[in-house]
Amino acid sequence: MNRLAVAAVAIAVIGAVTAPFLLKSFGIYLISMWAVLTVAAIGLNLTLGYAGQISLAQGAFVGIGAYCVGLLTPAGVPYFVAFACAGLLCFGIGWILGYPALRVQHHYLAFVTLAFTTLVFLVLRNEEWLTNGIYGINAIPRPTLLGWSANSALNFYFFSLGMLIAISLATWWLLRSPWGRAFAALRENPIRALSLGLDTRRYTLMAFAIGSSLGGLSGALYAPLVQFIEPSSFALGLSFNLLLMVIVGGSGFFFGPFVGALIAVLLPEWMRIAQGYYLIVYAAMVMMLMAFCPSGILGLIERAIKAAAARGSPAARELSAEEAGP
Amino acid sequence: MNAVLEVSKLRKTFGGITAVDGVSFEVRDGEILGIIGPNGSGKSTLFNCVLGQLRPSSGEVRVDGKPTTGMRPCDLNRLGVSRTFQLLQVFPQLSVRDNLILAGQEHQGSMVSRLFGRTDAGLGDAVGRMIAFFRLAHLADEPAGALSYGQQKLLDTAMAFMAGPRLVLLDEPAGGVNLTMLGDLRDRLQAYHAERSATFVVIEHQMEFVMALCTRVLVLAEGRIIAEGAPQDIRRNPTVIEAYLGH
Repeated sequence: MNRLAVAAVAIAVIGAVTAPFLLKSFGIYLISMWAVLTVAAIGLNLTLGYAGQISLAQGAFVGIGAYCVGLLTPAGVPYFVAFACAGLLCFGIGWILGYPALRVQHHYLAFVTLAFTTLVFLVLRNEEWLTNGIYGINAIPRPTLLGWSANSALNFYFFSLGMLIAISLATWWLLRSPWGRAFAALRENPIRALSLGLDTRRYTLMAFAIGSSLGGLSGALYAPLVQFIEPSSFALGLSFNLLLMVIVGGSGFFFGPFVGALIAVLLPEWMRIAQGYYLIVYAAMVMMLMAFCPSGILGLIERAIKAAAARGSPAARELSAEEAGP
Repeated sequence: MNAVLEVSKLRKTFGGITAVDGVSFEVRDGEILGIIGPNGSGKSTLFNCVLGQLRPSSGEVRVDGKPTTGMRPCDLNRLGVSRTFQLLQVFPQLSVRDNLILAGQEHQGSMVSRLFGRTDAGLGDAVGRMIAFFRLAHLADEPAGALSYGQQKLLDTAMAFMAGPRLVLLDEPAGGVNLTMLGDLRDRLQAYHAERSATFVVIEHQMEFVMALCTRVLVLAEGRIIAEGAPQDIRRNPTVIEAYLGH
């Protein structure tokens, strides 16, 4: 990373750390939700933005992760064990869901994953013996870390933020390794990749499994945040919302999900000044963005920096050399 | 001399059409074998069957005496068989350097060691040498999609050589390349051949290119081999002339 990008990240981290002290409890809840959903969006960005495999199942994995923690922690399982279980379970299910992606692509794959989301929703709603059906699960406890309780809204926000940072660093590492290049090869030209010795089957399944397991980890943070989960939170709407975050932020940009989740979580709330029309205004803004900049907000910023570099500003030229998104 | 590649009685049918009709040949260690033939004579289908992109209807393929019929392209590549494509196949949004690292990284260590190893999979020096060898140094950090057609063709060829293969199959390397670039490409192929004593199989339409580069030529027409020999003999062979000029 060059200096400008480091500075931007540093400012964002300082902003994320100071923000809760300036907010009331609902504001803190919202930025906690941002941190939690960003984890799921990072996972989807890995599957879709880097490896090029569309998935409308990310919301279902958030649900599986949330129910995993919601069922295990009240039964006395330590939170971090339940957290790891959520990740591993979603890794396994994501691996299996990757098999259709070996046969179908694009909108066909979107339908396969959409059907999976519906299936998970039906299981959560109908299998009352396990999930308590439409009554949901309430009073999910918040974790305690070496005597430090994440029970207050402020503490839970910092807990979520810490998890987000840890998961981001792990994802950064993964994408910087030869695996990241292999995922990009799947997106760009799978036939050529195969002829260069790349086991495209294994990498495709890996992209699905890792992306899904991040969905599960996000769910494992979601359950103690809201402390009450019920099936309809994890219906198709959430999967579409996560897809929106990835695309609005900038699919295939590392920081795309952070920006996209911020917009998808906060913008509808800010728009409340438009009263009854706030969702209409929000939807119109999303449509405008998609029509004029399909590469998302970070794509827009990259374009602006490139234009500035073309005019000869040395600082901008330095920044445009970085952030090699698609 | 040993045969690097043996193809015996290979057949490939699509519905009622027989694209490759019982082709047998072998490629000897260190030679540059040219395969020529009119459009639709089955050259590319033959390549795709040999390389595992298509499953042959019958027949057998052996690499270094080992049966490889129906093997996946990625496994075949790890045995040291590499290829280029008739239509350009690079990774347009990745830099030239990343294209080349990608072409070699799956031959370095295991999937797990690559995850925890270096970003360039330890290929930095090898990529630097390959970039210099193909004279792409000034373009190393450009996205491959920004290169001219001829430059992408050079990159495509360089990628096929990245893993140090013993056998390289080149599908129309000269197609759509201008004369200057063509001279460059031939020069680089000959230099690599001399340096590494690698074995090449070249499918090509451009006669001059084949005559200058290849040590032996096979002629394919309607899915069968109709002639075989040294380049200068093939040029005078009446069967070949008829196949090319039609009836």
